[in-house]
Amino acid sequence: MSSGFPESLHHSIAEPVNRLVDGLVVNYGDQLRPVADTLLLGVTWLESGLRALPWWLLLIMVFALAWHAGRSWKRALALVALMFLIGVVGLWDKLLQTCALVLVATGLCVLLGVPIGVLLAFRPTARRVIMPVLDVMQTLPSFVYLIPVLMLFGLGKIPAIFATLIYALPPLIRLTDLGLRQVDTSVREAARCLGATRWQVLRNVELPLALPSIMAGLNQTVMMALSMVVVASMIGARGLGEEVLVGIQTLDVGRGVEAGLAIVALAVIIDRITQDYGRRESTKPG
Amino acid sequence: MHSITRWLGGAALAFTVLMPTAHAAEPKPIYFGDLTWESGSLITEVLRVLVEKGYGFKTDTQPGSTVSLEVALARNDIQVIGEEWAGRSPAWVKAEAEGKVFGLGDIVKNADEGWWVPDYVIHGDAAKGIKAVAPDLRSVSDLPRYAEVFRDAEQPEKGRFLNSPAGWTSEVVNTQKLKAYGLTDSYVNFRTGSGAALDAEITSSIRRGKPVLFYYWSPTPLMGRYKLVRLEEPAFDAEAWKTLTDSKNPNPRGSRSLAARLSIGVSAPFREQHPELVAMFEKVDFPIALLNSTLASMSEQRQSPRAAAEAFLKANPQVWQAWVSDQARSKVEAAL
Repeated sequence: MSSGFPESLHHSIAEPVNRLVDGLVVNYGDQLRPVADTLLLGVTWLESGLRALPWWLLLIMVFALAWHAGRSWKRALALVALMFLIGVVGLWDKLLQTCALVLVATGLCVLLGVPIGVLLAFRPTARRVIMPVLDVMQTLPSFVYLIPVLMLFGLGKIPAIFATLIYALPPLIRLTDLGLRQVDTSVREAARCLGATRWQVLRNVELPLALPSIMAGLNQTVMMALSMVVVASMIGARGLGEEVLVGIQTLDVGRGVEAGLAIVALAVIIDRITQDYGRRESTKPG
Repeated sequence: MHSITRWLGGAALAFTVLMPTAHAAEPKPIYFGDLTWESGSLITEVLRVLVEKGYGFKTDTQPGSTVSLEVALARNDIQVIGEEWAGRSPAWVKAEAEGKVFGLGDIVKNADEGWWVPDYVIHGDAAKGIKAVAPDLRSVSDLPRYAEVFRDAEQPEKGRFLNSPAGWTSEVVNTQKLKAYGLTDSYVNFRTGSGAALDAEITSSIRRGKPVLFYYWSPTPLMGRYKLVRLEEPAFDAEAWKTLTDSKNPNPRGSRSLAARLSIGVSAPFREQHPELVAMFEKVDFPIALLNSTLASMSEQRQSPRAAAEAFLKANPQVWQAWVSDQARSKVEAAL
């Protein structure tokens, strides 16, 4: 079985890890559940808020947002039509559930990702430590950490958000970092010479100049969050992913395709809107 | 571009040159489906040990999902599926009707599925300081009274029933049962998404001594590892069962689930070539309590299925000696 690797050098960390997880569940599980439940309240609140809105109002809101981002009637109409189509195939409710999950996950990503990106850009030590961590986050198969997280926080939306956060955060951090480091040093120095403080330079000069890159990162983060939707449904999060899963498991290809395309449509909508915002910022005169 | 095509070509060439030599001149082994769930893998390994040691055939396994293994069996790409829930999948039913596959024996009698709660929910556990939170819970009809005990975090006014993942046959049955038992108003039908997630949530709840209400089945390690109580349901009724398996039926009637028949799936050519193995497979009978406890210790000690199978055969000769021929029995005993 083992292809010649000396038996005496075998050493498994499986047992200690198992004991650690079991210990965490027994000792800290009861304290962590209320934390998870509080976060859960926020998600369910957002979800029921979205569901309380009449469908046409939501479409109008998406239209307004798309128009505000791109200033193009045609594009905004096309995006709204896509969203309308999701409703037509009977997936409106699932769409909103997925939206709530992706919005919360993305919001948390921005809250965490941009500051970490700033840290990375200006602190070489932090870079050296965090970069490998980002690699791990992007490559570690999600079920490896999902099951322990699930045992600690319970089934459903919370571990789903956690998993999405781990998977979708890295691109935002990386691109924030990249954008800030690409800011022309002469611009930065000019601002310093005019007497701006460190904070003012960051807020008024560097971050605005890095914004196209940050928006590209945000765009990637949303796309990756959407691609985690199916994995999230494997741990009991409702939404479009669940439909895909059911489609696959019952060999109901049509149902899977319908839900799969709905995820793509949602991705296109969010992608176009965020990209338009990014582009507008980068071409803005001055 | 050129270098890529050359590289690919080289790889393909190396593959075709190396492949045949690897398998040259070996008698073809009997291929078993490599079942991934615990009871499936244990039963497969027990059968393999008996076939190898008792009858002197080489065996090997082929991985695959349940459906792909059933299709492979129909094509004789594999010869044996150790634990086949015969009659549950369309692929199997079709192949059986065409005479391409056969289900042998009734290998685990009283294989069971239903709704369970940990024993401490009803009786408490003084040793762990757990109070009995639902002392009068006996049957599914008592559940509405105890919705608060199994509180759902997302909809706190309801209880949570952990259903199997969406897409399993049992998910439809459980959803219909919730309707039949009038629980749709008091319980959330929580589909767990995957078997791993269902297991993790149950294990986490039991480890923390919290109440949990879930669908589960046997033979499984979970059944052997923890003390669980099955909630009573109305006696099995074939007509009511039909209303439960039909997801579109608006007025399902309650009934226990259809008793599962677990058998050993073999391909038609295998059945012709190996009558002595067929005779053995037909006698295979694992007592369910023993199987559950073996699975529990296998999973707790994280034994490989092979090691667990050998330990099982060594510790329980009375179980398997009735299955095999006299000659094979002494050979297996000698090998163990």
